[in-house]
Amino acid sequence: MRHTTRLMEVIQRSLSGPIMDEEVFNNRHITGGIARVVKEYDIRIDKERIINQDDDLADRVFQAAIDFLASCGVYCQSTNRVILYSQEEIKSILRTAPAQVRLGAGTDEVLEVARKVEDPRRPLLMGSPIGSPIEEEFFIPSMISYIQEPEVDATMAPTLGTIYGFEVRTRSPLEIMAAWREAELTLEALRRAGRPGMPITGLGMSFSDVGQLSADNPGGLRSTDLHTFGVISELKTNFEILNKLTHILYRDGIVDPYANPIYGGLGGGMEGQAVLIAAAMIALNVVFMATCVGSSPTHPFYFNDTHKELILPTSLAFQALARNTSLMTNLTISPVGGPLTKTLLYECTAYTIMCTVSGCSRILGPRSATGAIAGHFSGLEARFTGEVMSAACHLDRGKAEEIAQRAYEKYAPDLIKQPYGKHFREVYDLKTIQPVDAWLKMYEEVKNEVASWGLTFES
Amino acid sequence: MQDETTKALENLSAAIKNGLEDEAEKYTRQAIESGIRPLDIVKNVLVPTLAQVGQRFQNFEIFLPELMLAGEAGERVTAILEEETLKAGQPSFTVGTVVIGQVAGDLHDIGRNIVTTMLKSNGYKVIDLGHDVPDIEFVKSAEKEKADIVALSALMTTTLPAQQRTIHLFEELGKRARYRIIVGGGAVSAEWAETIHADGYASDAAGAVELCNHLMKKQPHPHE
Repeated sequence: MRHTTRLMEVIQRSLSGPIMDEEVFNNRHITGGIARVVKEYDIRIDKERIINQDDDLADRVFQAAIDFLASCGVYCQSTNRVILYSQEEIKSILRTAPAQVRLGAGTDEVLEVARKVEDPRRPLLMGSPIGSPIEEEFFIPSMISYIQEPEVDATMAPTLGTIYGFEVRTRSPLEIMAAWREAELTLEALRRAGRPGMPITGLGMSFSDVGQLSADNPGGLRSTDLHTFGVISELKTNFEILNKLTHILYRDGIVDPYANPIYGGLGGGMEGQAVLIAAAMIALNVVFMATCVGSSPTHPFYFNDTHKELILPTSLAFQALARNTSLMTNLTISPVGGPLTKTLLYECTAYTIMCTVSGCSRILGPRSATGAIAGHFSGLEARFTGEVMSAACHLDRGKAEEIAQRAYEKYAPDLIKQPYGKHFREVYDLKTIQPVDAWLKMYEEVKNEVASWGLTFES
Repeated sequence: MQDETTKALENLSAAIKNGLEDEAEKYTRQAIESGIRPLDIVKNVLVPTLAQVGQRFQNFEIFLPELMLAGEAGERVTAILEEETLKAGQPSFTVGTVVIGQVAGDLHDIGRNIVTTMLKSNGYKVIDLGHDVPDIEFVKSAEKEKADIVALSALMTTTLPAQQRTIHLFEELGKRARYRIIVGGGAVSAEWAETIHADGYASDAAGAVELCNHLMKKQPHPHE
């Protein structure tokens, strides 16, 4: 097993770190700690922008994140103790972070690499509805709609609300059955789409450690796949999460956790959010031994990440990481818009451009309609995202800002209307698994419009 | 005297806005000593001040830490005024009791904390059961606290069925009619709320307060 010593160290620190009430951790460690470093490192953001243009600011955010994380730590809810690492330890571990990893198998294998700001190398696209709910009958066709897209390098399943018609219950045998069912169906979708070795992640419906670990075994998730789990906002864990990590390490899986700081929450506004996102990504590597680190910073009212308040600090945090570490980072696009809305495509444009020029290694999604409406997603928006991503590799941040602003102007007024769009069955022909004419036409219109703003598509 | 009273109320409002609990207590006691009725302090200072704070949070002029501090100051003021009211033999001015929690399988806290703070700020007694709450605990707590409203939060799509299941459990135990059950959280939509026969859905914290106010006006307290 990899990382045995480091894992033991994490477990021991979770058992012996400073004991503390969770509320004290929230108020003093998170809120107080963020406020302190924002002031000490003079973190001030030009709120008119969408994409950070200031390298010195990005470097200060990185320093602030290291300082904050060393003083704050990660809270273990199972023991009420704080897992602490010193600044020296954090920096030392970061220096050993892997800068590339092979995902998948056979002819479907892809290489994920740590990217830099304005890096011309293409990020990977995990084209997927990222755990959005889906009815059983649409699971495989909707998955194929993503897997068949040439721009898609990896995928993740949607979430089944039922299995064999029965509702899934957490911590029951049904959860274990659901985990296996999801793995079986996902692998079947890969096979049918002719890309059996494509890397996947998933088991998103498995909340408990037992649920997830059941299908994270031979016959289910493969060691060449990404093994994903979430940590609790902000900077919290528990034994169930550490159990998942331990199992993944024993399976020699690719550790791919995520943390989703909430805007306006304990980290406060944009400045605090930027530091908190960067710190959370560092913590994923230092404490959770992540090979790849991911986030989908969340809006507290709309649950998307395409508001300017979210995009800008995310851009700053990811540039801070790209400039100062070799971490492989990923971001999930969570737009408000759904299929057959231009809003969705404009949101994907702005967010994808931001991710690409800010050094992100892998883009996930889009989780259309914020992942809240059953079946409101389709492969066509992943195609669009992939094309924008490939084109954005040739942009500098100045031009990226200009195009992202134009897209933002188009969709920002519509976010409050929550244009969730249409169900997969209404935007795809279920026999051919191809988009219907109306959706395809809208996609082409928006693509032409974005091209007229200066984004040069390859085809 | 009039000026002093006005000043005390202005100071109280400022103390709540700034989350200064001790100062808020001091100005509350000053206002009571100067003869202002607790209910008038609630109507004229506490509710409008906290409504302003809530609106500032919705506009992102302030953030969760400031909102929670103001909420805590508001809670301290409410406790003092409630004590004075009961001492004078007047009925409680608590708007209603809400049992809230994150349904089974959901570990998120922050969104629910925002709603809890906003409800408390608006005169509700809130019993927060925390996250990953087993279905039966909602029933037990609603019974114990004689709740008016049960609020089920789910941030993850995977935990939506637990909202439905909890409502079914209330039905199965013959207790559904006694409570207004509302749902919210990132994974929830109005359509879903309708599907599972919830009594209401709110997309954000301010909406949750409005919804509770609406439901409380709609029918008399089921326990009365």
